[in-house]
Amino acid sequence: MVNKRSVLTPALIALVGFLTVCPVVMLIFGSFSTGLGAFGEFTLDKYIQGYTDPELGGIILNTIIFVLGSSFVATGLALLLAYLNTRTDIPFKFMFRIISIIPMMIPHILFSVSWVLLLNPSNGLINLFLRQIPGLENLAINIYSLPGMILVEGLLDLPIAYLILAPAMASFDISLEESSKVCGGSTLRTLFRVTLPVLRPAILAAFILSLVRSLASFAVPSVIGMPGRIYVLATHIYQSIATGFAADFGKAAAIGMSVLATSITLIYVYRYLTSESEKYVTISSRGYRPSVIELKGARYPMFGLVGILSMILIVLPVLVLLYTSMVPYSMIPSAKAFSMMSWKHWIEVINDPISLLSLKNSVFLGVFGATLGVTLSIFVAYVIVKVRSHASGLLESLSFLSFSFPGIVIGVGFMWFFVRTPLYATIWTLLIGYIATYLPYGVRPLTSAFVQVHSHLEESSQVCGAGPFTTMRRIVIPLLIPGIVSGWILMATMFVRELTLSVVLSRPGTEVLAVQIFRFAEDGLWGQLSALGIMMIIISTALVLLATLVGMKFKPVEE
Amino acid sequence: MKRLLIVFLALIIVPSAFAADSDLVQKAKAEGQVSFYANMTAIAPIMDVFNAQTGLAGKYTRISTSKFLATVLTEYQAGKLMADVLQAPLPVMQMLKAKGVLAPYTSASAADYPAWTRQDDQIQTFGIEYVGLIYNKELVKAADAPKRYEDLTDPRWKNKIVMANPASHATTISWLVGLKENVFKSEDKWMEFLKGLAANRPMLVKSFGPTPAPVESGEKHIAISMPKYIITKAPAPLDWARLEQPLMGTPRGIAISSSAKNPNAAKLFMDFWLTKKAMAKLSAEVGEYVLAPGVFPPIDGMDKAKVIPIRTLSEKEISSYGTMFKKIFKLH
Repeated sequence: MVNKRSVLTPALIALVGFLTVCPVVMLIFGSFSTGLGAFGEFTLDKYIQGYTDPELGGIILNTIIFVLGSSFVATGLALLLAYLNTRTDIPFKFMFRIISIIPMMIPHILFSVSWVLLLNPSNGLINLFLRQIPGLENLAINIYSLPGMILVEGLLDLPIAYLILAPAMASFDISLEESSKVCGGSTLRTLFRVTLPVLRPAILAAFILSLVRSLASFAVPSVIGMPGRIYVLATHIYQSIATGFAADFGKAAAIGMSVLATSITLIYVYRYLTSESEKYVTISSRGYRPSVIELKGARYPMFGLVGILSMILIVLPVLVLLYTSMVPYSMIPSAKAFSMMSWKHWIEVINDPISLLSLKNSVFLGVFGATLGVTLSIFVAYVIVKVRSHASGLLESLSFLSFSFPGIVIGVGFMWFFVRTPLYATIWTLLIGYIATYLPYGVRPLTSAFVQVHSHLEESSQVCGAGPFTTMRRIVIPLLIPGIVSGWILMATMFVRELTLSVVLSRPGTEVLAVQIFRFAEDGLWGQLSALGIMMIIISTALVLLATLVGMKFKPVEE
Repeated sequence: MKRLLIVFLALIIVPSAFAADSDLVQKAKAEGQVSFYANMTAIAPIMDVFNAQTGLAGKYTRISTSKFLATVLTEYQAGKLMADVLQAPLPVMQMLKAKGVLAPYTSASAADYPAWTRQDDQIQTFGIEYVGLIYNKELVKAADAPKRYEDLTDPRWKNKIVMANPASHATTISWLVGLKENVFKSEDKWMEFLKGLAANRPMLVKSFGPTPAPVESGEKHIAISMPKYIITKAPAPLDWARLEQPLMGTPRGIAISSSAKNPNAAKLFMDFWLTKKAMAKLSAEVGEYVLAPGVFPPIDGMDKAKVIPIRTLSEKEISSYGTMFKKIFKLH
């Protein structure tokens, strides 16, 4: 086993390294080169210009508030929803599960625009509604603010946190909580002294992944931050390259290196905080019994509370999208608006000549890409959790490399790399680019799931004569099903709506849905964009249902 | 049905308007296809007509202005430039020309274009990305719309304007500099305008794309934007302010690639693109301001507007003016 592991680790480092290091290396070259390409004369000018900007201090402060705030919102909400969904008998669980991951299915730019329509200080729908209340006539809640950015980014990162926390919650061994209660611990004390500490790896994983994602996020900072004149690193990087017609992505990469360094540091902090992994094992050979807590009298009040919260935070923006897709232009709901509703934008999207091809390509990339990505993630997560050497630490950092880079830069890094290969302008560049960039979406839920599986189970299998791959296939993987399903859903829904790499790497014949999104967004055609957004939600919901059904079929233990 | 109609019209109308050299047509047909990189919108109907007319497979890739140079130069330097024909704002085309990406070609279709549209033997200017003031006509009466650019400094527009970020959006930076060079009589007057505009706290967005939506919905009343949105966003209640001063914009250029894999098809495509019929379609469908004589976008009064090209600013100028506007608009 040790020999097999020692082969597996370097093999994975080589593979993951090849996938994620190449574009980053190209960006590093570009950041040290004169001119606009990856290769040129050596220069430090791009770093000097990037890091001597007097405004950088204020921008970093905004960025810290933004990423910490949104990660707290995402993780906090995800904890609440995951706990209610997996550990209690709250009604309509499946509905909450879908609601929790809806923001993952919508292009982020569209979700942000939807919130602008709801909460802009001039005529946002929620503001207009609240102004009807006596005493609130002059109310103007302003989405173009740091709290507004934190709210929307937090909601967008909620599915990531939820899909990491839910599998960990689902496999929680209730005997730990029972022991606490037997020793006289109250429910709250048990929650804070037993439940949450045992779930620490998953909570930290969710929090750190949200931090990294919000650091790289561009949609919320550009749609909500820019009009409010609140700049964070992502918009600062954009402005540094967009001022002029000759965008210098090398300079953007130079500034992006600090984001990368921060992310890698966070990964190591995470590893340090969860280093005593034995503490977090909840599935051992001595019995595994996840169980459901009865809410009793609080069942329906709790359902009402979470229902209202979900309605306002997630369903309402989606309804705004549906409304926007049916009115001829951006207009406030009124009798006139409702009388002008039609399916025009939907028909235009469906009749678009490249729509069918884009749909086919995106579904292929979603299904095949996520399957391939999750397969790779299983091995990577296994090494990260079970080997825990310096090499596995390196592998964990490598899996985050492309993911940590600001989105507007990494696509160019991939282009600089792929143009030197025969794969350029084929669908395989998109497939490889997607998997390499979004590998943490597969690795993180699986790492959290692996942490909870005791090594006794593998050792028992080996004692019975099974090899490592047989042990993996017969013992470990069935116990990882919730993590596999989460990883697959995260990857598949991401690949269906992926924009950053697609707009740089897509060419005629390899168009994906993002190409249409980009086109509509650039032209300000929010009606068509919203129709396409709803279609994406439908496709992604089908993929989520598929994954959930397959997951249920293979689930080893009845909840 | 609409596509069938386009193909039908192409078969009936276009041959008469597009009488290409038969030798060129034969060579182009032997090549079979042409690849076109552009930053423009809604080109598909024109590609359909071209394909139906010539039997070639025209393939169009849209690349945003911010990534245009990076994409084309990366491919070109790796020997893999996939575009046979390139279209972009003139400053981008001039940078491509300086890097040797463009090939010389003079299209007969542009013979009657204004002389200034052809300043060298490679780039043909065919349109102007014109900038104007568009307003919500349900919220602003035509009589109250600005008559001069200076009217935007009136405090009644405070918190009611939306525009692209003047510190980073290259076209807006060039436009503001264009005002100084073409409209205002002195630098002081120009500065007064800038400070007055900044004092009205316009909402700043990434580019022109997000400017019309807040005006349509009534969140803002007026935008420094592109009048073409009156066409593309119809039936939104948008109109444009008929100013006493000229409208201005960045010229749009087209050229063939020096490494075109289909050089004859590229020439045939450029000839077709510059015909009055193709330009009329571009103008009618997406409201583009084109330079084919006598062709105007179907926007009321636009045929009488004076639309002039903005001088190409160097990257250094754009950067230093951007910094200046950042201070004036207090974007710290």
